[in-house]
This record gives sequence, C-alpha cells and structure tokens, in this order.
Amino acid sequence: MSFRSTLFATLSTALAYSAPSLESQFDTTVKPFVNKYCVGCHSGATPAAQFDIKSYNTLGSVVREFPRWALVMERLHAKDMPPKPMKPAPDAEVHPVVEWIQAVRAQEIKRFASDPGIVPARRLSNAEYNYSIRDLTGQDMQLTKEFPIDPANPAGFDNSGESLTMSAALLNKYLTAAREAASRVVFQPDRLEFAPHPMLVETDREKYSVQRIINFYYSQPTRFAPYFEASWRFKHRAALGKPAATLNSIAAEMKLSAKYLPMVWQILNEPGAAGPILKLQAMFRALPAPSAEMKDADKILCQEMDDFVVRIRANTGMQHLAPRVRGLPGLAQPLANWRNLQYALNRRKFEPKSIRTEADPKPEIKPVPRFPGLHQDAVPRWITVMENARAKDEDLVVPNAQRDRYVKAFERLADVFPDKFYVSERGRFFPDDSTDKGRLLSAGYHNVHGFYRDDTALQELILDDKAKAELDRLWIEFDFVGEYSARTWVQYFVNQSGAVLGKGAESGSPRPEGHEITGTEVIMGLKKLHLEKAAADSTNDPHAETAIVRHFDGYDRTLRSLEKMRVAAEPRHLDSLLQFAGKAYRRPLTAADRDGIASYYKTLRSKNELSHENAVRESIVSVLMAPDFLYRIDLPGSRTTTSSVVKPTTPVRSEPLGALDVANRLSYFLWSSMPDEELLKHAQSGALLRPNVLLAQTRRMMKDPRVRGFATEFTGHWLNFRHFEKSNSVDRSRFPEFTDELREAMFQEPVRMVEDAIATNRSALDLLLGKHTFVNPVLAKFYGMPVENKDPKQWTRIDDAQKYGRGGLLPMAVFLTLNSPGLRTSPVKRGYWVVQKVLGEVIPPPPPVVPELPHDESTSERPVREMLAKHREVPLCAGCHQRFDSFGLAFEGYGPVGNARTKDLAGRPVDTAVTYPGGFQGNAVEGLRTFVHQRREKDFVANMSRKMLAFALNRSLQLSDEALIDMMQSRAAATGYRMQPLIEAIVTSPQFLKKRLPEASTAAGAQKARP
Amino acid sequence: MIRKLRTPLSRRTVLRGAGCTVALPWLEAMSAYANTPPASAFPKRFGVVFLGNGINEDHWYASGEGKAMKLSKTLGPLEPLKEKVNVIEGLYVKALTGQGIHPGQTGSILSGAKISKGAVISSGVSIDQMIASKVGEETAQSSICLSCDPPMTGYHETNFSLAYSSHISWQSPDSPVPVEVYPSLAWDNLFDNRGSLLNISVLDRVKDRAQALTREISASDKNKLDEYLTSVREVEKRVEGMRKEKSTAEDAAKAKNRPAMSMERPANGMPADLRQHSKLMCDIIAMAFQTDKTRVASLLISRDLSAMYYPFLNVTMGHHGASHYNNNDAYERIARFHVEQYAYLASKLDSMKEGEGTVLDNSCLMFLSNLWIGRKHDNFRLPLLLTGGLGGTLKTGRVLNYLEASADNRKMCSLYLSLMDRFGLKLNSFGDSTTRLAGI
Repeated sequence: MSFRSTLFATLSTALAYSAPSLESQFDTTVKPFVNKYCVGCHSGATPAAQFDIKSYNTLGSVVREFPRWALVMERLHAKDMPPKPMKPAPDAEVHPVVEWIQAVRAQEIKRFASDPGIVPARRLSNAEYNYSIRDLTGQDMQLTKEFPIDPANPAGFDNSGESLTMSAALLNKYLTAAREAASRVVFQPDRLEFAPHPMLVETDREKYSVQRIINFYYSQPTRFAPYFEASWRFKHRAALGKPAATLNSIAAEMKLSAKYLPMVWQILNEPGAAGPILKLQAMFRALPAPSAEMKDADKILCQEMDDFVVRIRANTGMQHLAPRVRGLPGLAQPLANWRNLQYALNRRKFEPKSIRTEADPKPEIKPVPRFPGLHQDAVPRWITVMENARAKDEDLVVPNAQRDRYVKAFERLADVFPDKFYVSERGRFFPDDSTDKGRLLSAGYHNVHGFYRDDTALQELILDDKAKAELDRLWIEFDFVGEYSARTWVQYFVNQSGAVLGKGAESGSPRPEGHEITGTEVIMGLKKLHLEKAAADSTNDPHAETAIVRHFDGYDRTLRSLEKMRVAAEPRHLDSLLQFAGKAYRRPLTAADRDGIASYYKTLRSKNELSHENAVRESIVSVLMAPDFLYRIDLPGSRTTTSSVVKPTTPVRSEPLGALDVANRLSYFLWSSMPDEELLKHAQSGALLRPNVLLAQTRRMMKDPRVRGFATEFTGHWLNFRHFEKSNSVDRSRFPEFTDELREAMFQEPVRMVEDAIATNRSALDLLLGKHTFVNPVLAKFYGMPVENKDPKQWTRIDDAQKYGRGGLLPMAVFLTLNSPGLRTSPVKRGYWVVQKVLGEVIPPPPPVVPELPHDESTSERPVREMLAKHREVPLCAGCHQRFDSFGLAFEGYGPVGNARTKDLAGRPVDTAVTYPGGFQGNAVEGLRTFVHQRREKDFVANMSRKMLAFALNRSLQLSDEALIDMMQSRAAATGYRMQPLIEAIVTSPQFLKKRLPEASTAAGAQKARP
Repeated sequence: MIRKLRTPLSRRTVLRGAGCTVALPWLEAMSAYANTPPASAFPKRFGVVFLGNGINEDHWYASGEGKAMKLSKTLGPLEPLKEKVNVIEGLYVKALTGQGIHPGQTGSILSGAKISKGAVISSGVSIDQMIASKVGEETAQSSICLSCDPPMTGYHETNFSLAYSSHISWQSPDSPVPVEVYPSLAWDNLFDNRGSLLNISVLDRVKDRAQALTREISASDKNKLDEYLTSVREVEKRVEGMRKEKSTAEDAAKAKNRPAMSMERPANGMPADLRQHSKLMCDIIAMAFQTDKTRVASLLISRDLSAMYYPFLNVTMGHHGASHYNNNDAYERIARFHVEQYAYLASKLDSMKEGEGTVLDNSCLMFLSNLWIGRKHDNFRLPLLLTGGLGGTLKTGRVLNYLEASADNRKMCSLYLSLMDRFGLKLNSFGDSTTRLAGI
C-alpha cells in the first residue's frame, strides 16, 4: 500500500471520535499547534505555498479542503515541515495533530461511504460531441474543430459539469455545426444517410453517387489472372496440401467470384478445343506443378495468359455504329445511346469479320484518320485502329478448312471472357479510351451532361444475386440523389434538342410555355419530331426508329417513376428521421417525442413553406440542438429506495441509476461516445443492471475499436498532452524533423499504448516499465527503428524498443517535447510532470519570483543540470525541487523534441546519473524505471486509479471515494495490476451505478476533491 | 491574411437550387448591429452581370472622361449613366489562359484560381462570395446568384467540366453556388426571410423541449439546463431583434415616401421570353439591394457556351454559334442586349435615393465576359465595366486602359483585391495577384 494509506490505516482503527469532539479538539489541540509552528509563514497577504492555514476556523472548513490538510499531515509526519533550517516540532505535539487529521478523514468517509457524489448535468464536451456525431451519422465530421477548448475540472478532465458551461456564443456555434451536419444528409429512396461532404449542390450529389458506383466496380474481382491462378490451385490441390479444396473454397480464399471461377476452370480443361482456346489451355498446362505456393515467376505466366486473352478479345470485340439519320448529328443522343446499348449487349460476342483464313489476302495497314470533329461518331476511326491491330495479330489467322470450327472457338472464348466487364469512363472518342480520363460513367456525349450504364458482363459473369441487387440499387440511387436523368434531359433540351428542327447540333428548343421541360408532353413532342425525321429519308438506318422510341419512352418512364419514388420516399424519410432522433437522444423515443418531431416537420412544411428536403434538414438541426442530444443528464429513477448504506443516520441518500443512464455512463466512459445498439438493447430490457451482463458488456466494449476514444481523452488529459496536436512551440527551423506528421504520430503513440493495454488486458505497470512501444513509419524513422510497412497509417508494435532508448510512456517523444520550452530541455518541467501527473504527488506551484533559466541551451554557459543544482541550494526552493528535479534530469539523454542524444545543444556530453528522493541512485530512464518499480509502483497505480475514477464519474473525487480507491488497489494487486479489472472495479462500484438524491438541507456542503 | 475557406464549417448554408446563401446570426456582428442605428454611411453593395463568349471587338470602346466620355455602339445603353461608369480595358486572368477553350477560360473568372480537369471539380472562392462572407451576415441572405441560362454539367472536349461554364460564383473550392433560374423561387427565397425565421423556429422548439425537461430533473441539474435556456433565449432575442430592425427600416422608407420599388411576386415557371426573364432578375436584385435583403448578387444573363436564342434581335444562330462570327452585326446586337440589361439594373439602382445619393452610388456593379473575341477564343483581355461609386471610394466616369501594362500589372485579381479593400476585406493575395491594381 502507499505511504499515505498505510499511515491512515494504522492510525484509524483505534479512533472513535464523534463530530462535536473533533470540533472541540480542533480548538484545543490543533489551532494552538498551528499558531505556534505554522502561521509564521502560512498566513497573511502572501502565505507560503499559497496555503493560509490561519484561515481555517471550523471543522467544516477543514473538511471542505481536506486534501490540503492531508498534505499537512504528510509533511508533519515526514518532518519536512517546518522546513530546514528551522527545527521540527517535538513529536509529542505533532502526534495529536496527525491523529486528529486522521480522525476527521475516517469520520467523513464513514459518513459518505459509497456516496455517488454530485454529478451535475453536463453538455457533451467537444470531443464527446465529435465522437457522438461520428457514431450517430457514420461520418467523422469533426464539427467542433474550431470551437473554443473546453475547460477542465479540478481533476483535469473536460467531461464534467463542474467546468463545462453554455453561453449564447457557444450555442450559436452548435447551431452552425448542426447545420453543417444537416447539409450532409442524403435522401435515398428508402432512408436517410449521411455523406462525407455537404450534399446541397448538384455537383456534390452527383460526385457522391458516382463515387459509390465506381467504388463498387473497382472492388470487383474482374482480372483474369487470379482466376487462372485459382484454377492452377484447384488442379494441384493435393500437391498443395489441400486435397479437399473445391473451386468454391478456393474462390472464397482468393476473394474471387464463385460464379465465374467454374466457367474459367471449364474452358481451361474442356476437350475438343481449337484456336485461341487450345493455345490458352497449353499455356495453362505449361504452368509448373507446385512445391509450395505459386511462385512469382508463375504468377507472371498467369499474367501472360491474361494478356493473351485481353488482346484477343480487344481485337475480336464487336464494334457498333450509331444509326445514321439524315439531318441529325451523328451522335444525337437517341442515336448515341443506341450505339452504347449495342456495346452493352454484346460484350460476350465475337466479331466474325475479325478473323481471316490463311488463304485470305493479308490486310493492309490503313492510315488512321484524324479524330473526328464535334458531334461525329469516333467509332469509324476506331474501327480503322482495330483493323490495323487485327492485321498484326497472327492469332487471328485460322486454317482454311476449319473456319467454322475456329469461329465456334472464338465465340466460346468471347462468351467466357468479355471484352469489358464494365465501362467506368467514356471520353469523347469512346470506345477509344486513350484520351479524356476521368469522365466517370459518362455517356460520352459532346459537352452535355449524361451517363450510361454498361456492366452487363459484370452482372452476368461475376456478381451473385445479392451483389447485382446492390449494384442496381446504387444506380437507382444515383438517379434519385444525383438526378442524372432529369438533368441530362433538361440540358439536352436546352442545348441540343434544336438539332431535330434543323437548327444545328448545338441549339436548344424554345422554352415550352405552360409545360415543364421534364413533362411527358415535351418528351413525346420531341419523340414525334425525331420519328418524323427518321421516316423522312428512306436511306436512314431502320434501327433509328427503334432507337428513338426506346430513348424517349425510356426518359418518360424513368422520370415518371422517379416522381412516384419521391412521393413514396417522404414517409420513409420521416421514419428515418425518428430513428435518427432516437439514436441521438440515446434512449427510446416517447410518444411526446414522436409527436413533437412530426408536428415540427409539418409546421416547417405548411407555415414556413419549406420543401420536404429542407424541412427534414431543419428537423435534423432541431434534434441536434435539443438538450436531449447536447446534454447528459442522469434522470431521477422511478425507484425511490434509499441507499444501502448501513447507518440510517447518514445524511446522504442515493438511488440506483436506471439502465439507460448506466448505458450512457458506460459508453461515455469507455468510448467517449454514445451507446451502440447492443448496449441500448440490454439497457431497454433492464438486463444491463444485472452484474454479469454489465461485466459482459464492459468487456465487449473494452475490446471494441471505439475504446480509442477513452485512450485519447483519458490519457490525453491525465498526462496533459490532449492539445499537443495544435501545439506550435517547437522551433521548426532548429528542428526541421518536427513536421505536422511527426507531431501527429507523437500524439498517437501513448494513445495506442493505452488502447492496446486495455484491449489485451496488460498490466498497468507495463505503461511505465514496459519494454515495448507503438510506432508508425514517421515515428519509427524519428526513433531510428526499422519498419517494413511504409504506410503512414500502419502502426506496429516494437517489442524491443529499449534498444532504441524507448519503451513505455516515460521516454515517449510527445512528453519530452511537451515539457520542453523550445530550445532547451527542461528537467524541471519533465520531472514535475513525472512526479505530479504520473505518480500523483501534490506539489504546490512555484513562488512568483523565480529567476528564468536561459532560453537557448546552445548558448548557455553551463549545462542545465548544473544550474538546477545551484538552484537547489536555496532551502526555499529545495523544499519542492528535491522532489522532482532528479526525475527530470534522468531524461537529459533526450533533446527538446524527444530525440535521443549524448550531447546537449552546446555540445557538452549529457550526464544522466541522478539520486532520487530517499537516496536511490539511478542512471537515465533505465534508472528511473527501476526506481519506480522498487519504490513508487503503488503510487502510480493509485494515481491512475484516481484519475480513471474521476474521468468515469465526470466529477472530481471526494473523500468518500477513498474506500473505493483502496479497494481498487487491493484488487489490482490481486489481479496483476491488469487494466480490465481496474475498469471493471469502477463500473461495478456504487459511485458509478447510483445517483445521489437531492436533500432537504445538508450540512455536508460540497466535499472537495483531491486534484 | 488569406482566408482559408476550405474549413469544414461554412457559416452559411445554401438552400438547394435557391441560388442564395443564408446568413446565420453571428453574435459579434449582431450586437454591433443591434446597438447601431442605420448609420449615415450606407452599406456598400457588389454585383456582377455576366455575358458569355465575349463581345464584338469592333464596337466595344470608349474615350474621354465624365460628361465628355464617348461610348461605342455596344456601350451606348450606358449613355445616361456614363458619369458613373468606369470602362476598363486590358485586364485578364492568367490561370484561365493556355489550357483550353470555354470552361478552361471561365472556371475561375471571379477568383483567378487554378481549376482542375476530370471528375473532381475544383476552383476557388469567388470575389462576390468573399465579400458576402464579410458583409453577408448582416443581411437576411448573404448573397444571391441568379441565371437566365440553365446550367450545364457535362464535359467539354478539353476535359473540363461544364460546371465551370455555368457558374461564376463559388462558395468553396469544391462547390459553386447553385444558380437560381426561376424568378419566382428567387423571389421566395429572398423576401421570405427564410434564414432567420428558421433559426427562430429551431430555437423556439428546443426552448420548449428544455422547459419540458426541466420539470423532470433534479434541482442541481436544473441549473445546467437553465444555462442552456438562457443561451437559447439570448440568441433568439438577437435574431428577432435583427428581424424587427429590418422591417422598421423598410417601414421607415415607405413612410418617407421614397420611391421605393414595389414589385409583385413573379409567376411560377421559367419565362419563355429572355427579355422578360432578365428584367425580372434585375428587378429582384434591385429590390434586394434597396431593402438590404442582400448586398451581393451575381447574374448570368448568358453563360459561357450559351445555347440561347434571340429571335427578338433577329439573330438566327444560337449564342455560341453567333459568337463564332462575333464581328458580325448579329453578335453585336446580342452583346448590346446584355449591356442594356446591365444599364437597366444600374439605372434602377440609381433611381433609389439613399441619403444624398442613390443605391447605385453606394454600389459597385460589374459587367464582365469571359472572352474578348469569341471566334478566336481570345481571353488575353476581357470586356469589363464597373458602374457605381461604391460609397465614394471609387472614382467613376473614366476610361482605364491597361493594355500597355506588363502582365503583372493588368490582372483581374489585382482589381478584385482593390475592390475587396473597399469592403474592409484586406487580403495579402487573391488568385494570381499580390498587389492592388494601379490607378483604380
């Protein structure tokens, strides 16, 4: 046990003081002692250590600021006070005072045993708001990036009602943030969802929808080579040690299409093959049998098979022309779309004219014409390019007598290997795709907007039913969200429809009066004109008529269907809105909630005359501004049983929290974010209040990736580096290695360590004594550690970090940098940080008149170590500095940005030998670790437990929490100091699971916390 | 200071398709407004009227000063206003040269930013939106962006999106401000006070909710919720106060019998006749400026690559086609029609008294095209007019010629910096310029 708790334990058992007696003892014993030995320094206008001991007149005042009196007791016991050269007070006088302080503590603890304390209602902190929005919408919007930093409570955390406030200015910012979130809403046919960017502008909606389809296409397994490799694996499955493997199992393993692999297998093995198939089969047979997995050289052979098939299919794919109509531009949309359709329908067909027999004359290489002018079909030019390519391709020459047999072979090949699985972009010279990259899903029209879907081969060969349904859905949603049909039609009408009236390719029709451009009348009117044009000249392509009817009927059908979808979507959006509200409020909606949301929407529609979309967005704004979302309030439960404390005379009443409140506490503790569905389910059924369910959920949550929220917020505030990402105190001209990326990596290192410690249930002591750390490539480079994976997002655990002078929290660059004033190290700051933040000692602030150490180490006359030593010769300073300077000096082997070094900035070799309080001698961080291990482990665990408890309870700790802290210590010792039991002790404690009930009158006042 | 407008939080939301950006009440601005009565210094306004595809270079010139200024045929409609006009020659936007015609020459005409090809559109925040972000919070709408020409978003041969041809106002590098093409909708959004009404609705609602919640919770928690309620009430009061101030200003104007414009809501739908369409849009802008509903407006009468027809001008070809014969009379008539609309708007603003002057005297109304000579796609100099004295900060009645200046000294972006200065927006750089335009 720690020094302090030992002291308390041995003294408290004999005591049985009652309040009045303690009060009178204060007057008879304590005050005289204080007046004799303390008030000389500790009183007046500027009391020493800012502690005016004379001002304490009543027992109540002592209780309220007990931590200071605990310190008084400690210093007296250690004979630190009065400080040298003054003589310490005689033991006989000290002892009763110490005992009295101890008795006060014991009495207060008993009085408030298992008091949950006052946990005020609190708004979400900036971080909690961000994580909550992330989990609520699925998009990590980081909306509070420009909000003012939340103030911390005395425990050092920003998640407490003790310090979090609301103002009109801040409310305004929340309004802006809510509007930004609402701008991201996507209105799908059957639901609402959120996009990674605002969705108010047409081009943004289009971008969103197109990107989802493109992502879908690109994620499909459409390369041939892996299917050849998979076939090889199947063929040699016995030799590869998997005799039971099936095509299905191999497809699953290699993430290939289970539908397509058997087709490829079949064509590679079927008898009676000819021409290209025979050749392909030979290439397949030539793949060597395996000794182990497929070697790289053999993967290259598979790629050659792939290249072969691709070439043959590129040269034998069918090409199509737009039907010609005199008087219409070559690529008038109805005609261009017909051409696109033919391509889409014939991906698995073979162009018979592309092969020739040996007897046929060798085709000549024709000069390739220039790219066509505007509005002209590029296919004729492309066909010339193709014909030249075919002329050079010897595999397209077949034996005279076997033409038919070879035609069948080419057809078979085409059937299995399409010339394209899907078309993801069309430039203006499509199907030549050598120019104009980036026109995703474009229909290839000149100038005007338009998209065309060509993925029939993908659907037929690769996708299973589920995937097909998803792709169909994505295209429908593209039209619903991105409105591509309507916009294409309008742009066509305004820019190109005049061509049918003979006005030329780039002319629109006059605006229709009394009709919508997208209306059936207008569409059918244009269809009629086009049909007349097609019929006017008998030399016009007979397909033109079909093309025209299909085009215009298709638009009308699509646009009318979308109109219906929009109407049908509205109630679904409202359902989604209610679901959203329930999630945002983190509890089931009441009937009043539902009515309120529904009627607000109705008012926005009727009174404010908003469109459906704008009304939904405004409703979302109102949900995000509601106190039910912005605030965390533990509602008084329906139970009114009093607390289970034994003494009926206890003045503090409490009751168990309801399950929903426990769920919220749990998730904001472990994730700094809202409860998820599973947790809420257990809360709604009440099961969460059962200890086994509570523990099971806690364990689940500790292993969930969202525990990074805890690792960031708790560790960041506890160890004071939470705002390091914004820190700008490093002189980058002197330390150019300190980039934004390095700063970010430094920030992440302790977060990852704590996250891992929780998820894998490591001992808390590993945080200080461990030999490992976590790095990404940027940090690894800084530390001199080799990492293989160069992806900056990849974090690796380095087990032998001590080899590089790292390991555990202490030598992490973030702390060493944070605690350096720029151009020199600061052993004072570093030491203070270790002793105060990590080990939990209470050290008063420095007196106001402290001379500055030099600002730039490289220009200082003496090393910092020496200057501090002189400093400690002054008794007034030594009192505090001897408690932490040594800790800081141990880090002299690290420079101002945490870089490992053997010389300081002025070139002097660093000296890291230190003597710790109590005489322990050590060298560098190794020595510090040993010292901590041998003497201060308990302090560290106690401190971390206190911090964690304060973080979990959203309040500063009070005296009555000490019993719980003591219990946590014993439990920790019994469980190897593991992280998970520590957390479990918190979530099963009365402090966590209960709420204090309001009292009629209370003399207790606010019990003050230990910082 | 370069305003980094790529922040994820934009202070305005764009009502979809409404072509206007809605201001949110920032307390700093509001408190200043609430305490200051309508001052003797009238607000400055900024407007841009756009003609696509250039002018007829034989008929676009001017000489002389003030009353003695002589205007060419196309500039003729400005004769009654010429003392308040600046004819500026020879400025250009470097980032829009040498990368392909049309969208590549238009995409950042009001910002000078580099634009990108392919799927991802990216430009820069335009001068009107920069000004709107500075002054827009004091008005119901921070800006309105109108167009008589529906936008196009396909791809041009140069692989630039035609979104660059269809929009001149950009609120962020990723998104243009969507233009409003329907006069009736532009009207609704402008005169409905939508933005602040919506804020009041939201605040009312959450206030009710907080009050209901207060009844359910403990005393110590009440304090926290009270803090929230107080904040809500305070914000509400200021929004409401702003609205009241606005309407009293309008009432005051009516009471003084100023020739305040009156206008009825335009009929639904898109006017068939372009003349009516552009007149309505100009009227809406004039009303908006006069009643201080907004101080920033942009209007595309025709966009780049416009396909519009002008039967009433006896022009048989579409706009773009005609621009390929821009030195013909037909195209001169098209350009002059645009200047007529511009003159119409300017004279409307000039008929609205404000203090010793008129709304026009407190405005800067720009006329701009993206090309000089359409048939050559030449944009190394641009047709440019500025009308209005901008509250006495801009000298007018001049012909300013920068044709002989070096490339560095004839940048549109330098002009933009100079204009933004006059709105109190002092930037170190904008687009491709770090200096102000000499002689402006």
